[in-house]
Amino acid sequence: MVFWILCGVALLLIVTPALAIVISVLVKAAPALKWSLLTNTTQNVQNPGLQNAILGTLVLSLGVVVVAGPIGIFGGIYLAEFAPRRTGGFLRFFSEVLAGVPSIVIGLVAYTAFVEALHWGFSVLSAIIALSLLTLPYIVKTTEVSFTQVPRSLREAAIALGLSKITTIRKVLLPPALPGIISGMVIALAISTGETAPLLYTAGFSQTNPTPGLFNNPIGYLTYVTYYYVQQPGAQDHALASAAAGVTILLVLLLIFGGRAITARQRKMVARLDV
Amino acid sequence: MILVRRRAGGLPTGPARVARTRTHELTTGDRVLQWVSGIAATIPLAGLLFITTILVIWAIPAIIYSGFTVFTSDKFFIGNFYSTNLSSVNGIIAPFHASYGALTFIIGTMATSLIALVLAVPISVGGVLMLSEWIPRQLEGPLSTFLELLAGIPSVVFGFWGLTVFGPFLGAHVYPALSHLGVVLPFFKGSWAYNGQGLLTASLVLTLMIIPIIASTTRQLVKRVPVLASEGALALGMTKYEVVRVVTIPYVRTGIIASALLGWGRALGETIAVLLIIGMANNPPVNVYGTTSTLASTIADELDSALSDGTGMALRAMAMLGLILLVMSLITNLTGRLVVRRISSEALPVGRGV
Amino acid sequence: MNVRRHASIGFAVITGAVLVSACGSTSTVTAPSTSAASSASSAPTAAAVKTGNPAAAQTLSEAGSSLLYPYLQKLAPGITSAFPNITLTPAAGGSGTGQSEALSGTIDMGGSDAYLSAAQVTANAGALNIPISVSAQAVNYNLPGINNLKLSGSVIAQIYSGTITTWNDPAIAALNTGVTLPSTPIVPVRRSDSSGDTFIFTSFLSATNTTWASGPAFGTTVPWPAVSSELTAAGNPAMVDTCHSTPGCIAYIGVSVESAALVDGLGEAELENASGSYVQPASSTITAAVTAGASKVPASLAASLIYETGAQAYPIVNFEYLIINPSKITTSDTALAIRTFIEWAISPTGGATADNLSAVGFVPLPTTVIPLVNTAVAQITG
Repeated sequence: MVFWILCGVALLLIVTPALAIVISVLVKAAPALKWSLLTNTTQNVQNPGLQNAILGTLVLSLGVVVVAGPIGIFGGIYLAEFAPRRTGGFLRFFSEVLAGVPSIVIGLVAYTAFVEALHWGFSVLSAIIALSLLTLPYIVKTTEVSFTQVPRSLREAAIALGLSKITTIRKVLLPPALPGIISGMVIALAISTGETAPLLYTAGFSQTNPTPGLFNNPIGYLTYVTYYYVQQPGAQDHALASAAAGVTILLVLLLIFGGRAITARQRKMVARLDV
Repeated sequence: MILVRRRAGGLPTGPARVARTRTHELTTGDRVLQWVSGIAATIPLAGLLFITTILVIWAIPAIIYSGFTVFTSDKFFIGNFYSTNLSSVNGIIAPFHASYGALTFIIGTMATSLIALVLAVPISVGGVLMLSEWIPRQLEGPLSTFLELLAGIPSVVFGFWGLTVFGPFLGAHVYPALSHLGVVLPFFKGSWAYNGQGLLTASLVLTLMIIPIIASTTRQLVKRVPVLASEGALALGMTKYEVVRVVTIPYVRTGIIASALLGWGRALGETIAVLLIIGMANNPPVNVYGTTSTLASTIADELDSALSDGTGMALRAMAMLGLILLVMSLITNLTGRLVVRRISSEALPVGRGV
Repeated sequence: MNVRRHASIGFAVITGAVLVSACGSTSTVTAPSTSAASSASSAPTAAAVKTGNPAAAQTLSEAGSSLLYPYLQKLAPGITSAFPNITLTPAAGGSGTGQSEALSGTIDMGGSDAYLSAAQVTANAGALNIPISVSAQAVNYNLPGINNLKLSGSVIAQIYSGTITTWNDPAIAALNTGVTLPSTPIVPVRRSDSSGDTFIFTSFLSATNTTWASGPAFGTTVPWPAVSSELTAAGNPAMVDTCHSTPGCIAYIGVSVESAALVDGLGEAELENASGSYVQPASSTITAAVTAGASKVPASLAASLIYETGAQAYPIVNFEYLIINPSKITTSDTALAIRTFIEWAISPTGGATADNLSAVGFVPLPTTVIPLVNTAVAQITG
């Protein structure tokens, strides 16, 4: 019986902090929750807003989709469809090793290689490369899993019809695998939205809205606002930090739950196809 | 017509597989796709090699300068830039009095992550068992949503909460009570910062951050315990507790260990939350509440100052810290994934608790 | 196999390129030379330095010293009303950040209470540290009821070394006869970021305590001795906040936030200066210090005003510098905007008005330093 009381306490310890964190973020953000949050930039002294940070996060997310997306998807396709068993195992293993590299290490390497050695300065491109290295293993993995989970009846039908590999992949395997691939991308985006460490020394920070230009172009992002302003003692600064934290949590949760909804839809679709 | 034998995972073996990879069976389009996707598939490996190579090459001067003192000395100082002298050791020139001993950070990293691990595993397993054995099915969904919520909270928000809410709460209400333990355990004796900044607070927040990783794996595994075994045990008259002890735990034990190792890997690399909560002192903590620093948080905090070093050695020292951290993370992560591979073909849910 | 080999070759090429360019950019290390003091005989006057409203709108980005930040916040509206095409966007973050980001060209101007080190100047040829004002630093403490505590640099150094741990220590009592000091433990607070305030504070400790000078010495970051109760704070406002919340604390706080510290109930210490008197930061005592040190300012403008002699001289006084790296300036309009801003900022009719200065507790640059500043500003070309 004591055991179950302890387990109950444990469950409480899992459940309450999440709620406590979200509530405290919302409560502290309350003073800053005005429409000017979306129309002003952090530069504004009287009514600082998050416009530059939100747009910056969106730009970086787009960059991750454009860079890590195709590489990850094609990589997953290779592992699922083309790779001989040992090569596949080898590549898969190292992809998972990459997933274990701490994000600050990726940021440090991106800083020394791109910002310093290649003289790109704080730039959008070095930030996107850092985030892509971080999220690539997840996209590769989910793409591969999505393809291998396609029911074999479809593969057998394609073989029986004598379809070429590329046609099989494009017309037969991709449609049922697509929701899984998308959910993998969404998870990658959720991770990159919530990250700070790899961006600290690659993106720098900009108090103004993002401008075009891949090099020598610092860009703002939401997590930095929280990180910087929580260390300032003023109440207005804490309110801005909380507001940024709230928006970040909101974006991440939208992405996570959206991703899971897509995966659930995929499972239903695939179950229907499996004759 | 072609008999297709299958392996686990649905990939065909045998004649169909051979037919699939014999070159003359592939069209040009197929071959282009094979090449393009093959190159894409090697990018993670290339990226990993890139990261390791850059780190090693940049760290070498700092390693030569410090020698074994990296692991034995707790003096980390990027040097007096304003002195007209320079320090020269083993042929490497660094700012005056520069010393790159990483012992403080290694202790800090190990201490925070191990405390977090030791606390997170029982809490995760206990909570999941409670959820699966006692909580009615209708409540299970909403309650597990809180677990997913915990998984989705970004690191900087944990740091924010720890610095502004949790730390002061611990400092005002919990640590005074805990310090009575100081009679028995000297490490619990002493004073603490008013805002709770220090080793224990950082470890507690880290615990919350790695709970989702361990809990979600445990939950998946608990669901896959053979119903026959658990129901059969109940039929034999065992209590729920005995069923858990005799049937469930042995079944999920390896998975818990594997996910614990993954969680440990995450705790090792956790940067921003620790940076905001641990107090960033360059010496080992004097007691369990004391301020200190970890490898990851030091890199993030000091990289800025490192740029002011005209000799460039401070940046090399940062790369050296990064290399140590990378090796530690890789060892724990690899061990975890290898253990998983042994017990199931489906690898763990990908990583950062998401 | 073919694919893997090609990828490995590709990666090797990329790494090779990175290494080659990295080799190209490593700075050669030479022993830094002492700064030569030369008098500027044909220094340009303010009128000779080309300034004016740029043709296109220019935003000057600044970051760094949290001691300078409130002053720049005051100057920002003024420069835009004087020259509509110039906008200043100041930020804090610590002098170390200001120095490194200005040197790398990430920002246009870096705010720093500390001049550049000789090694930094060698590594970044042509980099300038240009003073625009004179500020000071106070030592505050949290002991309700005790005002104007007398402290010396040597005693403070011992506090931050952990040798003196309670407020009623004999060393402190000896300086404050007649005052009943509590037995409260001392909680020293220091900056966690790379800080110009740390630079001038530790310069003061080094000038007054030989153990400190040969140990931690001075810099924007120093190897702080391990004191178990020591707290850290990022930025001047956080120092005020932390000290306010911690009974028995002692902290070093820049004059530009001193009014907030005093409002919060912190006491301001009277520091012993080189002539043996105990003084607090005020415009008279700060001016006395900078007047004593003005004649020693070299052409490089890297000068310390710490622990100057003079009955009324306050011991922790410093120039507020703007760090500029002309080689990173891309357009002549940006250079024009920077020159215009600096010349406007140091002019008594422009930025250095009595109102602006007194609001943050600064004093104007000594007149003998202005020609040196003009020479330096003339080197800012795009």
